[in-house]
Amino acid sequence: MKRRHFLISAAAISAGVTLMPRMTFAAEGVIDVYFTSDQNVIDFWTNVVKPKFEAANSGITLNLVDGGDGPGVAAIGDRALAALASGADPQADLFEGYDTRVNAGAIDKGLFVDFSTAGLSNYSKINPLANDIPTRLPYRGSQVLLAYDTTKLDPANVPKTWADLVTWIKANPGQFIYNRPNKGGSGGNFVRRAIFEANGNDPKKFTVDNFTPEFAEEALTPAWAMLNDLAPSLFESGAYTSGNTQSLQLLGQSAVTMIPAWSDQALSAIQQGVLPETTGLVQLQDLGLPGGFTYIAVLSNGANKDAALKLADFLLTEEIQSAILTELGGFPGVSWDYVAADLRTRFADIIPESIPTFPGGKWETAINDGWYRAVAPNVDPAS
Amino acid sequence: MTSTEAGALAPAPTQRKRPIGLLLVAVPVLLVLWLIIWPIISAVIQTLWLPTPDGGRSFSVSSYEFFVSDPYSRANLAITLWTTGVCAVLLLVICLPIALYLRFSNSKIAAYVQGLAIFPMFVPSIILSFAFIRVLGPNGTVDLLLNSVGLPKIKSPYLTPWGPVIGLVWDNIPLTVLILLSGLGNVSNQAIEAARDVGAGRFALLWHIILPRISNSILVAISFAVLGIFSAFTLPYVLGPAAPEMMGPFMQRTFRDLFDPTNAITQAVITFGFCIVFGLFYVRSVAKNRTP
Repeated sequence: MKRRHFLISAAAISAGVTLMPRMTFAAEGVIDVYFTSDQNVIDFWTNVVKPKFEAANSGITLNLVDGGDGPGVAAIGDRALAALASGADPQADLFEGYDTRVNAGAIDKGLFVDFSTAGLSNYSKINPLANDIPTRLPYRGSQVLLAYDTTKLDPANVPKTWADLVTWIKANPGQFIYNRPNKGGSGGNFVRRAIFEANGNDPKKFTVDNFTPEFAEEALTPAWAMLNDLAPSLFESGAYTSGNTQSLQLLGQSAVTMIPAWSDQALSAIQQGVLPETTGLVQLQDLGLPGGFTYIAVLSNGANKDAALKLADFLLTEEIQSAILTELGGFPGVSWDYVAADLRTRFADIIPESIPTFPGGKWETAINDGWYRAVAPNVDPAS
Repeated sequence: MTSTEAGALAPAPTQRKRPIGLLLVAVPVLLVLWLIIWPIISAVIQTLWLPTPDGGRSFSVSSYEFFVSDPYSRANLAITLWTTGVCAVLLLVICLPIALYLRFSNSKIAAYVQGLAIFPMFVPSIILSFAFIRVLGPNGTVDLLLNSVGLPKIKSPYLTPWGPVIGLVWDNIPLTVLILLSGLGNVSNQAIEAARDVGAGRFALLWHIILPRISNSILVAISFAVLGIFSAFTLPYVLGPAAPEMMGPFMQRTFRDLFDPTNAITQAVITFGFCIVFGLFYVRSVAKNRTP
């Protein structure tokens, strides 16, 4: 290459590099949505939410970005918080599957829109069970159930109560595994089901506000004893996978017979062949394994805040809430009265009217820390 | 010190005293001060200068006291030290023969062996983790192969402390082999031939001629491996047991899941304290080689 030629192209490249950040500024009318959820949820947005919303609101388009996981999007949240302080553009508008508490001080500084005062027309439809804090808007739910290998366990003999499940796990050592409660909710909700069991199976006993260290100690200690009692009968005498996917992988490799799994994730795994067609799904009948709601957050300093709020409102419409049931295999974030009537009757037998839920907030840290200290080390507390 | 004994770096010029050299290093030094040294200092300050209930801050070592008195945290530190130690020994045992072979072999296969030894460098650890579960995990490829010839299954290292050890050793082979190989470049063929002429056996050759000349490289290789392994995250997180966990996942969990930055930073400072020892080994060996 001639020297002159080289200089020109080098100058062009460096000019391009300097200009590049400008091009990534949020475009007018393009809502930047960041996801913490798995691929099946992003597919749902791509195939259902995006076309429907864009058809109903001409001039607004959605840019769907896979943020990887919670910490991945939390980093975008930290960036938005810094942008709020400097008055810059956060280049993000809406977070899917987000806990607004993770960015320290962000709620107090007003980084996230308070939905209770945002004037959403569908806000009153939200399932009261799902409501958390006003900066988080629940739009879908999912429940954990048990996935098992029908070639090794006859569906007729599958455990249907917690007591049966415990008996089955102990009678078949090494055939059950659940994942660490802080990494993917399938194991987390199995642990929460044990906490309900140890406290009289009453989900109303726990609320986000009634956490005290004393009550937590009293309620969680018997649950840890219960889980420790199970540990020697688990896979590898007390091993715990590090995520939902790893549990599915062990079931798929036929290394275990039964795992707790998210309903929507198990269904798409079977559809995609990650799990064989001989996989069975069952829910406990005495009290189901808890589910959880997935929340969205809207940034108050996003360039397309108003459009993002429109999208948030749109998510709560009957159209999308019904599609969550039929297309995603999840549960609505609104009360059951606000989904299509035919769906309500169709799913009545399969889905319980109420999903047991466990409050988040301080309970969550108490459960995560307590489980790692009391259960994970796999030592008998009595010894 | 003879020139063959020195490290790969050329001796520093002692005659010229122009400021250009200092200017050249100023940028990286300032970056290190800003991006590494300052965060370390601020982390130490944050963990020693804790908020008090009345809103102020005062000097306190309570977060360190908690770490030391907490058996769970101590177990995590112990498993980290154990993993690092075992990995360091295994790396030496595996990489030294490979490096010796590559240095002294003239065959064409050596090029392929070198390619194979460097290969792990190009595999991201998350991909390695899931491949590991597929291959060495329960009912994985190894089990299938053993089963097809009628042998019993292996006891899978997945979700045991040996899982991260195997993954981390595999991941660190390239760097260790490369550093040892550069050290072996300092062993002259004449020295080997002279020793052979006076009747030295293979072991004597290794012990008296080769090892003394590459001891420095071994130290550097081990320091590098230890620094990487001590703070490893992905492999111990995906492949290791839930508890005890290595410091990397432990810090991340304390920070992200327990919303407890003070204890997370304390764990980071303690981890740094162990790593700096190996860092000093490295700095010392480099500095020693540069003195004429």
